[in-house]
Amino acid sequence: MKFSKKRTGSTRPWVVASVLLAVSLAACGDDKKEASSSDDGCKELTGDAITLAVNPWTGSAVNAFVAKNVIECQLGTPVEIIDIDEFSTWAGLDTGEIDAVLEVWPSGHAADFATYIDEKGTVIDLGLLGPSAKIGWYVPKFVVDEHPELATWEGFLDPALAGLFATAETGEKGQFTMGDPSYVTYDEQIIANLGLPLQYVVAGSEAALLTSIDQAIADQKPVLMQFWRPHWKQLEVELVEVTLPPVTPACEAAAASGDGTYACDYPVDELMKAANAGLEAKNPAAFKVLRALQLTTDQQSEIAGYVDRDGMTPADAAAKWVDANPDVWGAWLS
Amino acid sequence: MSEVLTTQEGPVVVSLESLPTHESDAVRRDRLRQRNFSLAVFVVLATLAVVAGREIPTWMDSGIQKWSQDRYKWSITNRQSSPVFRWFFNPISDFLAWAVEHTETLLLDLRWPGVVALIAAIGWRTGGVRSALAGGAAMIGLGAIADFDLAMRTLAIMTVSVIIALVIGIPLGVLSARSDRAERILRVLLDTAQVMPIFVYFSPLVLFFGIKFAPAVMATVVFALPPAVRLTNLGLRQVPVVANEVGQSFGATSLQQLFKVQLPLAKNTILLGLNQVIMMAFAIVVLASLLGTGDLGQNVLAALQKQQVGKAFAAGMGIVLMAIALDRISTGRTPGSERRIQWKGRRLPQVPRRLIVPIAAAGVVVVVVLAQILDWQNFPSWLTYDIASPADSAVDWVQDNLRRDVPVIGGTQAISDFLVIEILDPIKDFLLWLPWLVIVVGFAFIGWLSRGWRLAATVAICMLLIATMGTIPGGGGQIQLWDIAMNTLSQVLVAITISVLIAFPLGVLAGRSDVVQRILRPFLDIAQVMPQFVYLIPVVFLFSIGRAAGVVACVVYAVPPCIRLTALGMREVPVAPREAAISFGATGRQEMRHVQLPLARRAILLGINQTLLMVLATVIIAALVGAGALGLVSYEATTKPNVKFGQGVAGGLSIVLLAIMLDRITQAWGTRPDSERRT
Repeated sequence: MKFSKKRTGSTRPWVVASVLLAVSLAACGDDKKEASSSDDGCKELTGDAITLAVNPWTGSAVNAFVAKNVIECQLGTPVEIIDIDEFSTWAGLDTGEIDAVLEVWPSGHAADFATYIDEKGTVIDLGLLGPSAKIGWYVPKFVVDEHPELATWEGFLDPALAGLFATAETGEKGQFTMGDPSYVTYDEQIIANLGLPLQYVVAGSEAALLTSIDQAIADQKPVLMQFWRPHWKQLEVELVEVTLPPVTPACEAAAASGDGTYACDYPVDELMKAANAGLEAKNPAAFKVLRALQLTTDQQSEIAGYVDRDGMTPADAAAKWVDANPDVWGAWLS
Repeated sequence: MSEVLTTQEGPVVVSLESLPTHESDAVRRDRLRQRNFSLAVFVVLATLAVVAGREIPTWMDSGIQKWSQDRYKWSITNRQSSPVFRWFFNPISDFLAWAVEHTETLLLDLRWPGVVALIAAIGWRTGGVRSALAGGAAMIGLGAIADFDLAMRTLAIMTVSVIIALVIGIPLGVLSARSDRAERILRVLLDTAQVMPIFVYFSPLVLFFGIKFAPAVMATVVFALPPAVRLTNLGLRQVPVVANEVGQSFGATSLQQLFKVQLPLAKNTILLGLNQVIMMAFAIVVLASLLGTGDLGQNVLAALQKQQVGKAFAAGMGIVLMAIALDRISTGRTPGSERRIQWKGRRLPQVPRRLIVPIAAAGVVVVVVLAQILDWQNFPSWLTYDIASPADSAVDWVQDNLRRDVPVIGGTQAISDFLVIEILDPIKDFLLWLPWLVIVVGFAFIGWLSRGWRLAATVAICMLLIATMGTIPGGGGQIQLWDIAMNTLSQVLVAITISVLIAFPLGVLAGRSDVVQRILRPFLDIAQVMPQFVYLIPVVFLFSIGRAAGVVACVVYAVPPCIRLTALGMREVPVAPREAAISFGATGRQEMRHVQLPLARRAILLGINQTLLMVLATVIIAALVGAGALGLVSYEATTKPNVKFGQGVAGGLSIVLLAIMLDRITQAWGTRPDSERRT
């Protein structure tokens, strides 16, 4: 044992030599790697890549892959896609590690707008994406079939009806389920200010919320939650939006000031795009395309459907749509 | 006499203690008087605590929330202009990203056969042929069920993180071995790093290091560093005094002493630390992928977003297999691994040790060359196995059949309701009903019972600090973080109790039977490394959103170490006393109860201590299935940092304080000398 050190010492040149050999051989193999072919009529990729953020939902992915397809093929600028959480997206936009994000739900990002767009000016508003989205209160359809009163918020004033939603966690009161805590929420305020006998419970993650929908439908047990459209789950199960009081100026003021008096429905989210302020200087052509890029609600649902319904990858879905709709994206280039 | 016993330490005391002692009446009276005095102090304190009332006075709010929120805001505003960022954080960040990217490229260039060969070669050198086979097989299994190229990115992040953790951790370990004060300070910091929910430091890491690889590596390093420091410290402190004195007598300088005597002697313990660092690092792969790493962990998250449990399980198993491969090649030589491999009844020839390295290196080179020549780019499809569909069917079956109408126990939904209504609610309500200072005094009393005044003071300080965390908005008003902490405490106590009830019998069985041990091992490996996210969906489906689901998630994660340490404790009991008992006519059961279990007591209590830390580390995951409480508060530091970062810091610190308090108490049980129990 005492001399083992000496022995292994003599083998060291071996190791160094072979590791070097292996690495250099591996590196040699690099040359053979795909020289991007251009027989599909696309330009060859050159220059610095631009980075687009994809947040964890289908819509966000299809916008980005449509943009990637068009920019790479028509402009020859490589596009990198980064799957990232919403909270880090803005920090990345701030420094330019992310060049653009193509689907922002404004209701959840008032503070980010204030910090990065208004105060620091490192992020710019890139205009509307086109589709609108809506957060709201939802119940499975069978609930409204049995109790039509529950289609509007007044139905929940009745403790007996609200009690249908009770669980072990909430006792006598009905349970209101909120999914991922990163999403915007006025639910606690709405419940308190409308005087509803409901208790607010945070499921903690979207996966947990989706699972509780499945569980409710399997058991035909009523469940009330914050949900939104577009969402792929809406294709799979029938959910009904509960009517809340319409948005009033008072509620808009309450949302802005955060004084806790919000008592209305959620506003419609006009989805928008945002970019790092340096993108225009970095790549004016790509910047122009991203600013011009717009999809209608129907177009976006069509591409999302390829992914959610038909199981295509977002890249394939985007390619299929881009091939079929040259006039739509052609307009973004001019 | 008693003075000798209490003030002196070392082997002398042990030998004295093992003799039957007879206290003189004076000593005993003295001791009783002291105890009565202490009891009286606690009675007075408790009375004062009741009088002080229920509300925590507002002057106790330390303002930690506003302070952290302001720092956060400052960082956002100044991250481009401040020199701290330009000259400190940005270069580190660039270096980390560079290191990960190049490691990934290298691994991809080696191609999958090269990576498998490399892992096997390292295994051969460190642990013999068995480790080589296990490591290589696990890597091939990884390719079979998950995306090998994505896995290489995970492996690159892990490699860089582990190296950095060692580069920082070993010197810190040396420092804490050499200075008791450094050890004490570091211990608190390491406890904090281990228990502080990762979501609390996510958003600052993003501000400091940007997105993608750099913050992911930093998060992994923070989480995986503690075992490197702890085990280096332990290893150095276990170096026999004689060895040090020999070095000194030969005139070695302090540094020579360290490198030529202490570190070589502590090598095995430090290597165990390396192994633990790797395991910890793998435990947060999935969380780190939130930062945009786009690796195997991201696969898990993306699949869960679409409720594809099978797909998430496949990616999760990939992570598990990679962890197992690295575990096997970093465990080193064990008695089992030295055994020769038999083939058709004949022993394979043993390769002399000095030839292992050249042969292994040559083997890797040959494989890499072959892979280049034959152009083995992708993992061959005939080797892949779709594990997602069977996993989905299994989950479906469990969900359809275990939820209700199960004979006797009624099904998971009934268990869930029972847990919430009959157990969690009463405990929580009781803790909230008690005036807060009574709880402080109560825990201090438990501390005093366990280890005297010093521990009582530590415990009281931890609890008082929780009271300074202030209030957060919620439920249409302000809620004291103290109340939220009591909610978490009730969940933690229940989860620990259930974990111990499950783990203790299994651990005892595994400690007495090799068969049970071998059957349990793969399950324990998987439960320990499988990303907790993967079982999020089945747990919610079976137990509904809420605290019961949270408790279950904690239990799944906390049971394995408890089983392991119990079994280890049982096995480490020396054979002699057990045989003596048998020869005196004790039955197997009597021998277990009266000899083996008492002798394994310390190891078992250490197991409970580890269970507790595991449970507290999982509180954050419990929040993802609806357990709320402190886990949710700290999670919001990441999800809405613009407004809630300060709250998250306060929530995370409260978890850390609860953990330190419970850790110190249970550790006192585990390390208490046997002699103290007589009193």
